[in-house]
Amino acid sequence: MLRELASLTRREFLKLGRNPQAIFTALLLPLLYLLLFGQGFNINPTEFGDFTAAQKVAILAAYFRGAPNYYSYFAAGMVGFVAVTATLFIGANVIFDKLFGIFKRVRGTPAPSAAVFGSRLIAGSAQPIALAFFVLGLALLFKHIPGLTGLEVTASVGVLGALEILAAILLLSVMFATLFLTFGILIENPQMYFAAVNLLNLPVLLTSDALYPWGAMPHWLQNVSQYNPVSLAVNVLRETLFGSSVYPYGPGIYLLGLFAWAAVLIGIALVLVRRALRPLD
Amino acid sequence: MQPTQAIHAENLVKVFNGKIRAVDDVSFDVRPGEIFGFLGPNGAGKTTTVSMLSAGLRPTQGRAVVDGLEVGKEPEAVKRRIGVIFQESTADGDLTGRENIQVAAGCYGMPRAEGRKRADELVERMQIADAADRLAKTYSGGMRRRLELAVGLVHDPKILFLDEPTLGLDPQGRNGFWGFIQQLRKEEGLTVFVTTHYLDEADTMCDRLAIIDHGKIVATGSPNELKDRLGGDIVTIKTTAGAPDVTNVLSTLIGVHTVQKQDGSYRVKCANGEPFVPLAVEACDKAGAGVTGVTVKRPSLDEVFLEFTGREFRDEDAPTATDRAVMVQRVQNRFGGRR
Repeated sequence: MLRELASLTRREFLKLGRNPQAIFTALLLPLLYLLLFGQGFNINPTEFGDFTAAQKVAILAAYFRGAPNYYSYFAAGMVGFVAVTATLFIGANVIFDKLFGIFKRVRGTPAPSAAVFGSRLIAGSAQPIALAFFVLGLALLFKHIPGLTGLEVTASVGVLGALEILAAILLLSVMFATLFLTFGILIENPQMYFAAVNLLNLPVLLTSDALYPWGAMPHWLQNVSQYNPVSLAVNVLRETLFGSSVYPYGPGIYLLGLFAWAAVLIGIALVLVRRALRPLD
Repeated sequence: MQPTQAIHAENLVKVFNGKIRAVDDVSFDVRPGEIFGFLGPNGAGKTTTVSMLSAGLRPTQGRAVVDGLEVGKEPEAVKRRIGVIFQESTADGDLTGRENIQVAAGCYGMPRAEGRKRADELVERMQIADAADRLAKTYSGGMRRRLELAVGLVHDPKILFLDEPTLGLDPQGRNGFWGFIQQLRKEEGLTVFVTTHYLDEADTMCDRLAIIDHGKIVATGSPNELKDRLGGDIVTIKTTAGAPDVTNVLSTLIGVHTVQKQDGSYRVKCANGEPFVPLAVEACDKAGAGVTGVTVKRPSLDEVFLEFTGREFRDEDAPTATDRAVMVQRVQNRFGGRR
């Protein structure tokens, strides 16, 4: 099983390495968001009036959940955003491999279904995880570039905090990679795949608090977003980076919620995939 | 102990969507070390049969035994003993030829070092060593086929399934490919099960054949046995328009087995065609039917197909092999850059 998994995973990374356009596009999207979207929307509501220091803290807490400005709040949200969007193509690659007969050839070998699925999941999750850290690094770097706002970390991030961030990104990426990979295995044509992915992807992202200032969201959307897996992951990041005083729960609870989401979705996906990848069908 | 039959198919049936009977009660045996051909037009059920034998598809009914293993019960073990070359190109274009073979080796659980060694051997053997480190998408059709053969042989299988292996290849590529297959059979005693709709390939390359049509096997035997069953030569006699029917006249001539009237001409099966021609022309003349054309044919597999199915060997509603090859090429051209 391990040799088959290693061999198929190597194939995925070889293919990825030979597709510089895909890597460039994957990097370009967060770069544009961080450089244009985040900078463009970077308002500070405390600058619109003569507020006391205590009032400023209260306003920032209400609007950006403790982040010092929108950009920092948004940068943490972008990590969650790319951890989901970078998994979109994982299933499309399966569909293209089906169209070109490559999937059929692999299924013609005794390589276990777990190796076929696992290799794609490893490669498909590695990209969003790497991209999430690229976003964090880039946002931190912008702070040192004159004229740009960057991510300002206002809490002290210890080893535990770093591990919590890693766990949140990992859970979110693996969860969506599993989901979209399952779509790719079950669906036969690219058009239907992208329709299905968008049907899921957009509502999930747009009902999260990844990009909207918390204080600007209507209450009903705040309530919905509390249970959104992207919000759960982003909460872990924001609490770790900016402090947890405005959050009702600690990062551990949000991680637990994220874990529950991942367990349910991955469980459903694996049942479907096991049926689809049964030998002799 | 080696099984007496390399492949044993027993009453195989495959029904798709509860109504399309793609394979209908197919039974046959393939002996170890022989090249067994499955000949039939597109849509006859050849690929479905290969899929059932190679543990890719579960039969609706019946059973298949490959190298002594029941396919339905031990699909993984069967896959370890067989190599499959699919009808469509399955080489991974974004990997080099060598990497394609190495990845396949890994899929059979071979350690990486062993996979590398095997890839080195196979690229030499398949004469693609010079291109082994080039991306497979730059290969010609013939090279891709040889690469796919190398991939199918990576785990040293005992039985090789070839599904329309020369589809889309030019004559040179087809000859080259068959040269490799013959060599493998000679050197390693491989059993080869091949589907084809090329009559010449079936005639010259296969030890035995099964002719399949509409999901049913209509005849089995060596190419010569099948042709001998026709009972000699085929003489086609065309008479003038409005001429009287000479079926009975022709039937009474010496050496004639059967006479069939088809579209204004007579298809006569007789022991020896050449001496029969002047006798037939004279008999037709006497009966008042002027002869406008005569052809004598040694029996071919085309005639065999006609004999057993009652129609010419041609594709009906299904797209032709060329059509499909063109469609595959179009898809590859369209999506090639995205892989």
